[in-house]
Amino acid sequence: MRTFAPFAVFCLSAATAFGATLVEIREPSRVADSFSPKALVRVVNVWATWCVPCVEEMDDLRAISTMFGTRVSLVGVSLDDMIPGDRGAIRQKVQHFLDNKRIQYINIYYRGSSDALADTLRFNGEIPITIIYDRSGREVWRQQGKIDRNKAIAEIRKQLGRNR
Amino acid sequence: MKKLLAVALMFLAVAAIADELAVGAKAPAFALANAVDGKTYAFKPGDGKVSVVFFTCNQCPYAKAFEPRLIEIAKQYQAKGVIFYAIDPNDENIYADETLANMKDRAVSKGYPYPYLKDGDSTIARAYGARVTPHVYVIDPTGTLRYRGYVDDSARPAERTKTGLTDALDSLLSNRPVANTETRAFGCTIKWKKSA
Repeated sequence: MRTFAPFAVFCLSAATAFGATLVEIREPSRVADSFSPKALVRVVNVWATWCVPCVEEMDDLRAISTMFGTRVSLVGVSLDDMIPGDRGAIRQKVQHFLDNKRIQYINIYYRGSSDALADTLRFNGEIPITIIYDRSGREVWRQQGKIDRNKAIAEIRKQLGRNR
Repeated sequence: MKKLLAVALMFLAVAAIADELAVGAKAPAFALANAVDGKTYAFKPGDGKVSVVFFTCNQCPYAKAFEPRLIEIAKQYQAKGVIFYAIDPNDENIYADETLANMKDRAVSKGYPYPYLKDGDSTIARAYGARVTPHVYVIDPTGTLRYRGYVDDSARPAERTKTGLTDALDSLLSNRPVANTETRAFGCTIKWKKSA
């Protein structure tokens, strides 16, 4: 017990200290700036805390990000700002959600026009949507609706294989 | 590389909205139960009136965000003879919020100035090609679809720059063609009734 207690305190501190990266962006063209330049494959996921299937797929996205490390750059784009209300409080809610989910990939708190974002990413307004790009920026795969984890992993592996 | 990706993303910026009822097509008729009074409301396209059919629900935060705006628009345009139908297409077995009893509670508490109809098997939503809540359709007096898409481009009143629904209504009521006939409806995916 003597040794367990400090260890438990350490684990608790580590759990509460986790801080996900959430950056604010208004221009949809800047979403691409958030990808790691060294990544061989880029993945964008558009989501919101108020979107049930988005929340349901978050664990799968975290697993995919962890599985491939720096070879794959995953960027989440939160549309929570679309709901009227106090921006600070909404952003805090998104931050807490990401912290609790222990999401390590970059997320964007998107404050711009949702229409402009959908134009840029070519989606029809339904979320979640997940899009995979190859190293040159060419779209190679997309999932409208909740992600199929195995299919996404297979596509990423295929793209990584082309970059060997 | 970042610039290349940004250019590639922008280059592909053509929004495809598929499988929705086409603007210019005849609107589907329906007869659905109103959650408030239990009566059946029938929409017969071509009844000589401008009509607004919109899909909404109890559960979706984005649909709820547009609720005050839709109530405001309905009151304003009902005075000009426009008929409004709110339709909940979500499967109540997926969300208990969407039962007739809960629909009635919401409609009464918010003072809906329109019937709140239950599309229990999502048939009417499929016929219109609705994807999300809220999703709006404007039908002219001949029964032809003249506008589909969003209410406005933002649910934040101070940031609203485009007013899709009221623009369409103003055009039809003054016998002008609707300039912007299609916009992109954002919202929560319709919780479709699964076939037995």
